[in-house]
Amino acid sequence: MAGASMKGIKLRIKSVESTMQITKAMQLVATSKLRRAKERMELSKPYAAISREAMMAAVGNCDDQNVPFAAQRDVKSRCYVVIAGERGLAGGYNANIFKAVAAHAQDTPYCVLPLGRKAIDKFSHLGVRLLRDDFPRVEGLAVGTCYRLARDLIDGYLKEEFDELYLVYTSFQSMMSQEVQLEKLLPIEKPAGEPHRAVTTVYEPEAAETLEKVVPDFLAGRLYSAACDSFVSEVSARRNAMDSATKNAGEMISDLRLKYNRARQGAITQEITEIVAGAEN
Amino acid sequence: MTMATFHLQIVTPDRMAFDGEAEKIIVRTVNGDVCILAHHIDYAAPLGIGEAKVTDAEGKTRSAACNGGLISVQDNEVRVMAITFEWEDDIDLERAHRAEAEAQEKLQAMSKEDQNFAIAEAKLKRALTRIHVKG
Repeated sequence: MAGASMKGIKLRIKSVESTMQITKAMQLVATSKLRRAKERMELSKPYAAISREAMMAAVGNCDDQNVPFAAQRDVKSRCYVVIAGERGLAGGYNANIFKAVAAHAQDTPYCVLPLGRKAIDKFSHLGVRLLRDDFPRVEGLAVGTCYRLARDLIDGYLKEEFDELYLVYTSFQSMMSQEVQLEKLLPIEKPAGEPHRAVTTVYEPEAAETLEKVVPDFLAGRLYSAACDSFVSEVSARRNAMDSATKNAGEMISDLRLKYNRARQGAITQEITEIVAGAEN
Repeated sequence: MTMATFHLQIVTPDRMAFDGEAEKIIVRTVNGDVCILAHHIDYAAPLGIGEAKVTDAEGKTRSAACNGGLISVQDNEVRVMAITFEWEDDIDLERAHRAEAEAQEKLQAMSKEDQNFAIAEAKLKRALTRIHVKG
């Protein structure tokens, strides 16, 4: 009896050990990717901040009626740009994003521009219309690609394929916390609460026309920086998940070792008792 | 006598190409070249495709190929938000020549009404700008 359970424990230890090797390897990969991803994210931040400020200033300089891309239409359908991961095993990283989309979309019909294999799979499985499905990798998404995507999105918006455009991505707060963000990209909204600036800036051509020219560019920049941000979040989420998986595996192994030693000791004690009993007779 | 300077930032989505004091910047906007010196009035214009020239605080002038985006001046802070911005040293001449040949070929094959005509034309313009800046 003791022999059989010892063998079983030994097998389990082996299988947990090989799982631990995998989680440990994945953790190391994530850690090494993290540094480069973070660098890229840092480099993408100035443009995102500066262009946002410039856009808001330009919107503030427009007359209310003629801000381009600002017409409020009845919302018959929405479009979400969803940035998720290429792979799973990153804790709640992918699930949180999909939950945010579902919670926001409610019953309004929507289409999706998925970036990342997991987003493509999820939304095609749900039967949602995909604008395109050829970007399974968020890692290393090129700036030029973002420009093409931004142009397509603007086109779709102007053709009234959808009435609102949202960006759903994960923002990196720290190694321990990454937050899903849902941001409205179109129509452009005037910043609420901000006092109307004195209109002193000279726009050439007029503010509205200038905006019309640069909004697609800024949209591209926004997509790019959100993709960088998301990828850092994904990698750090995976690193954390694999770190705790590795720790758990370690704990399980030491637990099993204890059980194994107890069983072994029990078997020896029993054998001795049997021998001693035999000698006494 | 040193010239007055202003704070200039040149950014593209993937990096900061310049962040420091400058005396002068010339860029091509959609309406033609503009030159910004210190204490320019608040100004903004979309950028076209063309050469940009930056004179830094030491009086050294550098050229770059600049493409699209926006230039904005606010309170003596000048910001160039470009789609691409490549200093002359960073330009890959071979690639530019290749792009030029490709674009020429495409343009010859299509009619002016083709909706991709403008895209191919812009590509040619970018390639020619790069070649011009480098050469």
